[in-house]
Amino acid sequence: MMAENPYLPFSSEILDVIKHTGKEYTFRMHFTGDVKPGQFFEVSVPKFGEAPISVSGIGEDFVDLTIRRVGRVTNEVFEHYKGQSLLMRGPYGNGFDVDLYREGETVVVAGGTGVSPVRGVINALSQMPNASDKYVIVGFRSPDDLLFRDDLARWDGLLNLIQTVDSGPEGYTGRVGLVTKFIADLPLKDPAAAKAVVVGPPPMMKFTIIELQKKGFKDENITVSYERKMCCGLGKCGHCRVNDTYICLDGPVFNYTEGRLLMD
Amino acid sequence: MEFELNTNVRNQDININKIKKNAFRYSKVRGETASRIRIPGGVIDAASLGKVVEIAQKYGKGVIDITNRQGIEIPGIPMEDIDKVNQEVQSIIDALDINQEEKGAGYPSSGTRNVEACPGARLCPFGCYDTTDLARKMEKNIFPSDRHVKIAFTGCSNDCAKVRMADFGIIGMTEPQYDPQRCISCGQCVDYCARRSVSALKLVNFKVVRDETRCVGCGVCVHYCPTRAWTRSKEHYFRIVLMGRTGKKNPRLAEDFVRWADEESVLKMVKNVYAYIEEYIDPNAVEHKEHIGYMVDRTGFQELFKWIMKDVHLPEKAEVATSINWGGHHYDRTNDIK
Amino acid sequence: MGYLLNAEGFDSTIRELSKKYRLYAPVLKKGEGRFLDTDVVRYDFVTEASQIELDAKSDYAFKEFLTPLSETLFYFTENQVREADLDPKPVIIFLRSCDIHAAKRMDQMYLANGSAKDPFYQRRRDLVHFALIGCDHSYPNCFCASMGSNVTQDGYLFSIERAGEGYQSDVKDDGLQELFAANAVSQKDVVPAHVSENDVKVTVPETIPLAEIIKNSLWDEYDSRCIACGRCNFACPTCTCFTMQDIYYTDNGKVGERRRVGASCMVDGYSTVAGGGQYRRKHGERMRFKALHKIYDFRKRFGYDMCVGCGRCDDICPEYISFSNIINKVNTAAGQILSAEKEAE
Repeated sequence: MMAENPYLPFSSEILDVIKHTGKEYTFRMHFTGDVKPGQFFEVSVPKFGEAPISVSGIGEDFVDLTIRRVGRVTNEVFEHYKGQSLLMRGPYGNGFDVDLYREGETVVVAGGTGVSPVRGVINALSQMPNASDKYVIVGFRSPDDLLFRDDLARWDGLLNLIQTVDSGPEGYTGRVGLVTKFIADLPLKDPAAAKAVVVGPPPMMKFTIIELQKKGFKDENITVSYERKMCCGLGKCGHCRVNDTYICLDGPVFNYTEGRLLMD
Repeated sequence: MEFELNTNVRNQDININKIKKNAFRYSKVRGETASRIRIPGGVIDAASLGKVVEIAQKYGKGVIDITNRQGIEIPGIPMEDIDKVNQEVQSIIDALDINQEEKGAGYPSSGTRNVEACPGARLCPFGCYDTTDLARKMEKNIFPSDRHVKIAFTGCSNDCAKVRMADFGIIGMTEPQYDPQRCISCGQCVDYCARRSVSALKLVNFKVVRDETRCVGCGVCVHYCPTRAWTRSKEHYFRIVLMGRTGKKNPRLAEDFVRWADEESVLKMVKNVYAYIEEYIDPNAVEHKEHIGYMVDRTGFQELFKWIMKDVHLPEKAEVATSINWGGHHYDRTNDIK
Repeated sequence: MGYLLNAEGFDSTIRELSKKYRLYAPVLKKGEGRFLDTDVVRYDFVTEASQIELDAKSDYAFKEFLTPLSETLFYFTENQVREADLDPKPVIIFLRSCDIHAAKRMDQMYLANGSAKDPFYQRRRDLVHFALIGCDHSYPNCFCASMGSNVTQDGYLFSIERAGEGYQSDVKDDGLQELFAANAVSQKDVVPAHVSENDVKVTVPETIPLAEIIKNSLWDEYDSRCIACGRCNFACPTCTCFTMQDIYYTDNGKVGERRRVGASCMVDGYSTVAGGGQYRRKHGERMRFKALHKIYDFRKRFGYDMCVGCGRCDDICPEYISFSNIINKVNTAAGQILSAEKEAE
């Protein structure tokens, strides 16, 4: 055996499985090491493969991994139950610095599974004493795609939550529209000093940032997290590289002044 | 004057059968003939082509006819110049190494047609063997013969030479060799096999599995593999298709007889069929010409099989058809368009 | 110390060396080229001097030992994970100056990008020694002199190159002096041959206005010219990308393995994320991604250029795309952009 093999996963017990939609579950994994929201683990299913999954929640002895069932590996992960174990390695990447958002107005804009990497950030915001100047806009494709229903209900009372769906069925009474629609009307006192976190599919991020800039946000106050293909998480496989940046090492979280320079 | 009398046309007593056999065409213009140059494999050296030009200018009308079967005809030659033209074509016969019975006497026969070949591996990236070379070997093997036989070689299953319209069509094959250790599962072979060939490949466990029964040995996988995981077999293989023909009665495409045959067997089988022809040709055939296929129609495939396989030792992997049913339209039965 | 060897001396030196080392060298593979009766020169293990191709540039790079095209990392049984074994016998890789420079780039990526060293690379790298093949002339498409990889002064056990009817060798390794001395015709000071100028010359721009170069129309022609086959990457001695694959054996689903295979940023699927999202769909964008890595991005991160100018990408491209020409096009475009900016000021 090699002395230290970073490719060797460790075993972690599944403490709980929370089902959001038919395709999206959160696996609460036993973990006690240092970890930050926005970092990710490679969930490793022998004979099926590995998938990078961002940390959606952190507790004393656990990390939450919200997993979308989209392929070979995640299909297999979904066959696992509470009490069983999964192999994983990590955490990788830099993660969010939650302390940045303690003071002042903060807006988190997240789309779809992009909510997972910022869930820990939103949780932290919701527990801050001055949460009345914290805004969260979350968008899902349809009411059926909603993630973290319990959290959404809880957050709603603690900070300013705007929850929307791209389109709803007939008779749907909730908010309908893309997340970008709600930025202009945010009742911010000082957008030039406000901070923002943006995570989601590439087009959503692009247009959200344009809206934030129009609103008066400064690029240096915007934080983004990028999703790229990753095979190793260690800066070797090359798939996540953009220009001279390795998302797995230098990201996935970037200040937008750096993030805007990344051009695929 | 109301018409010009061609004073060149003198009283001529010419054995037409003899000049035809000597590779001079019977022309609709009385007194004129065309010299037929054999170019087995379709490749001719520039000096010989220069000689063709010279003959066309000196004896013909300054034009050259490129034939359907890759030969050349020099039309407009007065019949009385046949002997001189036979002297002139000697350098071409020598350069192309055509079997000959008597120097200076021109071509000894014309029945067996020019042996055709696509450019093959000398030029074409997809060629599975040197078609020109094998066409020339075949020429040495079967010429001269008065029997009306068409043989064509094509480098791969694309069949650019349209060999399925000949009595013998020889289609090049390679047996793709796969090294899984060099395969990175990019899937290009699978994709190109589906788009350019027969979908014989699929990825299983990120490695390629070849359906050996479906594979036509075209080499597309080898061509597109970026890592040399796929390479060509050292052996050159052939698909032999038989008895395609055009014509009035029953035009049809040749059908598969052997796949994964070797070169030696190809040469031997064609030679064998010449003996079959001697045995079974219709003695009353017009001008002693008959497509072999009509003989097979009479004798049945099994009789042909007996003759064609005489002393043939195919490689172990060769597969041989035990019966063949040809298709095509039978105009001798019905002329309906439906 | 340098030595002159005749053919017999070289033969017996190689035979002796192969007792202690596995020898990995360019080998002419007859008939294994893309077209009929064409050959390919690629690396393989040899035991005889006659197997070593000293007279041609290899089509594929030496890196196939360090990062095999397909390498099993782990075997999985029911509840166990086991690392794949590796033959512990040391290896001598026969390679040219450009390739020794390329090895430094491989090391950079696998051992020094990020805090973790890649253990599967490391254990192979630890076995490797180099034998430098001298270049007494430049091969087609080589532009090593432009990239500064034409000279190698150390980092090899010995050099080898033809000298008249025989061979000459500069032996650096003290442990091998005796072996060479015993097989040599005579001693002689040997400086490995190297080229100091190539027919192909490139100028790598010092400054690249990245955003403008990315948007530049020079990449557009490759949308249709490039077929995204990845040969340029697989032949490149500095391309390091890989993809992980897990499989279970079809006849026993409880047992399987994890392997990694060579990956190419030119080939479909390289950037595909879960759910099917893809970056750089256009082949011109992929060309730009690759090209700028070789002459800009890598340098920005590590301080020197990734491309070593071996020209294998140009040798192998089925569509006759010249990477050296791309470098020069980028240089021209960068110059134009920068001077336009200067004027605007």
